Amino acid sequence: MNEPASIVFVVDDDPSIRRALKRLIESVGLYVELFGSAAEFTNSTHPDVVSCLILDIRLPGISGLDLQRKLAEAKTLIPIIFISAHGDVPMTVRAMKAGAIEFLTKPFRDQDLLDAVQVALERDRTRRQREGENATLRERFESLSPREREVVALVVSGMLNKQIAAEIGTTENTVKVHRSRAMEKMQAQSLADLVKMVERLKTTEDTFTSP
Amino acid sequence: MTVSAIVPMTGSYDYSEVARSVLIAIAASYAALDLTGRVSAARGQVRLAWLSGGAVAMGIGIVAMHLKGMLAFHLPVPVAYHWPTILAALLVAIFASAVALYVASRHKMGWVEASTGSLIMGAGIASLHYIGMAAMRLPAITRYSPLLVTGSVLLAVLFSLIALLMAFDLREETKWTVPRRLGGAILMGGAVSAMHYAGMAATSFIPASPPDLSHAVSISALGNNAIAIVTLIVLVAAMVTSSVDRRASAEVGRINRELERRVAERTLDLEAANQALRREIAHRQRAEEDVRRSEDRLPLVIDTLPALVWSKLPDGSADFLNQRFREYTGLPTEEGLGWGWMKEFHPEDRAEDEWRAAFAAGEPFEREAQLRRADGAYRWFLLRAVPLRDELGNVVKWYGTSTDIEDRKRAEDELRRQKEVLQKIFENIPVMIALMGEDGHVELVNPEWERTVGWTLREIREQNFDIYAKLFPDPQYRQMVLDVVAASTGEWTDLKVRARDGRVIEVAAALVHLSDGSTLGIGKDITEWRSTQAALQEAQDELSLITRVQAMGELAAAIAHEVNQPLTAIVTNANYSLRQLKDSTPNLDELRTAIEEIANDGARASAVISRIRGLLVKGTPRRAELDINRIIQEVTVLLRNELSRNHVYLSTELASNLLRVHGDPVQLQQVLINLMMNALDAIRLSPQQPRKLLIRSEQKAARVVIRVQDSGPGIEPRLADHIFEPFFTTKAEGIGMGLSISHSIIESHGGELSLVSTSQGALFEFTLPVTMNE
Repeated sequence: MNEPASIVFVVDDDPSIRRALKRLIESVGLYVELFGSAAEFTNSTHPDVVSCLILDIRLPGISGLDLQRKLAEAKTLIPIIFISAHGDVPMTVRAMKAGAIEFLTKPFRDQDLLDAVQVALERDRTRRQREGENATLRERFESLSPREREVVALVVSGMLNKQIAAEIGTTENTVKVHRSRAMEKMQAQSLADLVKMVERLKTTEDTFTSP
Repeated sequence: MTVSAIVPMTGSYDYSEVARSVLIAIAASYAALDLTGRVSAARGQVRLAWLSGGAVAMGIGIVAMHLKGMLAFHLPVPVAYHWPTILAALLVAIFASAVALYVASRHKMGWVEASTGSLIMGAGIASLHYIGMAAMRLPAITRYSPLLVTGSVLLAVLFSLIALLMAFDLREETKWTVPRRLGGAILMGGAVSAMHYAGMAATSFIPASPPDLSHAVSISALGNNAIAIVTLIVLVAAMVTSSVDRRASAEVGRINRELERRVAERTLDLEAANQALRREIAHRQRAEEDVRRSEDRLPLVIDTLPALVWSKLPDGSADFLNQRFREYTGLPTEEGLGWGWMKEFHPEDRAEDEWRAAFAAGEPFEREAQLRRADGAYRWFLLRAVPLRDELGNVVKWYGTSTDIEDRKRAEDELRRQKEVLQKIFENIPVMIALMGEDGHVELVNPEWERTVGWTLREIREQNFDIYAKLFPDPQYRQMVLDVVAASTGEWTDLKVRARDGRVIEVAAALVHLSDGSTLGIGKDITEWRSTQAALQEAQDELSLITRVQAMGELAAAIAHEVNQPLTAIVTNANYSLRQLKDSTPNLDELRTAIEEIANDGARASAVISRIRGLLVKGTPRRAELDINRIIQEVTVLLRNELSRNHVYLSTELASNLLRVHGDPVQLQQVLINLMMNALDAIRLSPQQPRKLLIRSEQKAARVVIRVQDSGPGIEPRLADHIFEPFFTTKAEGIGMGLSISHSIIESHGGELSLVSTSQGALFEFTLPVTMNE
């Protein structure tokens, strides 16, 4: 079977609800996978495609909120839509703070759920795209020689070629060569472009605790 | 003439001589008897003279008789008599006579004197006989037959005894003395003669050579007669003398008697004259004696009386205190005298004025006062004082006693105290008390009784109506009450009593018989208590409802969830269906399925709602045949959300062979919910993993057993005893009614709810009896 472009996972202990959700979501052309408990969900493997999770708060064993935490700990950044028979405020706050897309109280309007699913999938898609760009930049940056990286770092910090040459103890011309080589390798159109790229790398370095 | 032969000589008796000898013997005997009387009548020298003279006369008589007897015996040979020997015989006779006279004339004669006298006398007579025989001088040898000799001696002794007894008996001068003496004399004379002739018979004479005739005389017929005559003269002389003496002494006696008679008469006169005087004197003497004796005894009596005795002068000052008084107070007499006794009283009783007034009043009085004992302790005494008055009526003295009444006083005090205690109890105890006589009529009631029924004892007594009719208007009921009173078993009975104001009050009463046949009844108005009980019961029912509502409150979220689940499915499916219907190419199969599920979930939601309503309904239990497994399942559905919220794994092990039980499904659900909620609360408190709740059902004989076990910390043994008590709780917000109500629900179903195990989580178990098939 071909891998679907996106998948909606549903974890609810009520089979009736599970079936109804599957029916509804599939009717808008999305692929749905159902689970009766959190354990069932974590124990199965999922294809690395755009996806989101519709999660019941109250589940036998591991609860919805616990599962959310566990996923975060495992760096599984899947967008979550919580559904609950009665959600109290603290519970909702906790879920939203932990990055939930939506918190829907049962019974919910079908459109609300479907909208939330769309948002969630879009967010996952965006995230995945950004994650791809960051990986390219990193590859390019890692192709720079140590001297070129050094020069880039000083250029981005706003120093002139002459100053850089004095700093690293070489000639202005050598600096120029390193600089143009680096620009080329990073596929930067301008100095501003390069600066933007380096800044983005810095943020991902924060996001990714580099290996 | 000499005769030489060994044949005894034959003797012959001259019988006239024999007769004469017997006469002499009789005369001598008479003389002896007569003289005995004289000897015994005489005293001193006269007596000695009479004794001597008598003895001589008798001796001569006896010897004469003897000689006469000898002379009456004629032997064929000439017989001479050796006169010194005869003289010796005479002396012996005189001696024997003297002994006889002496013995017979004694004041009294015992067997010792009689036998000694008779032995001596008998021996004397026998001696004189054989001495006399020895005086015979004849040409023959005298031989004695030992047997006859012994016989003659015995006869002599025997006759002497008889003679002595007779003489003793006949010595007094009486009317018949002479004939009796004469008879005695004849008897004695005969006896003496018999003895003599027996002695002679013992003798045989063998012819021999002529005897030595020196000093021997031959007694001629003349001599022979002379002996008799002389002897008779002597005897007659003796008798005459005796007679004269007797006459003289008789005359003296007569004169004496006359004199005595006159003296006696005179004495009688004198006594008669002095009779009164003597009686008077005697009387006085006796009186004096009595007085003296009583005076001797009085101090002793007074000192030993078990009371303090005193006498006082008219003003009350003491002049005598008895020994007990002194011992009790320990006071020397002089200190107690006067008014000293006053300070021995307790200060409270020392009011001297009152005492003086009492004495001054002069009337007998009594008073109780405390008197100090020697050791300092005060004891209660009863003082009694009585005045002694002279003929003018003035008090001359007070006499009194003080009796120790401490023990009585104490007993009285104690009795009074007990009575007071009982009285106070009687008056103040909030319990009705009534005392009824043997016939059942009310004798005494306490204030509480009066307060309760509204009638007073006074009314009952004064108006004399039948209180039973007032209290128990219904005759049949009244009779029942009277029966209860008559029986008085002591058991508590509830009685309906009509109070005076018309209220009917309920009284718990118990009746007991007292030893005198009366009846003691105690009762308590329990009307209020009953209504309180009813209110309490209602409150408990209310509480039961509240608890159920509260349980429902706790469950509200779970129930909302429970209803929301099917609703969520319904809404979702309905929306799906709408979408499909808007679609130009609807998936009809899927659409049908969705609508079917909508219908199912709708039914599901409805079931949840009716369960909730069932839990909330208050009302009389509705019993039905039911399957307990189904109840368990329904409850687990209700609580499923609560369980999952607390991450508790519920497992059930339900036996498939369960018999049906008879019960109220709602109440049984309530019990199960209560047990499971408690389990949840317990599990929440415990770090124990995994969190488990296990519900099992099992058929055990005629019972169904349901067990609810949790993985919580269990219940502390010290609390286990209390968990079924109302309002006992270990939860911060609990009200402690859950298990209590559950317990009573199961009990009302004929089952039992118990805590089986407290360690490793609590295990509760309840049983329900299965329905018996008719």
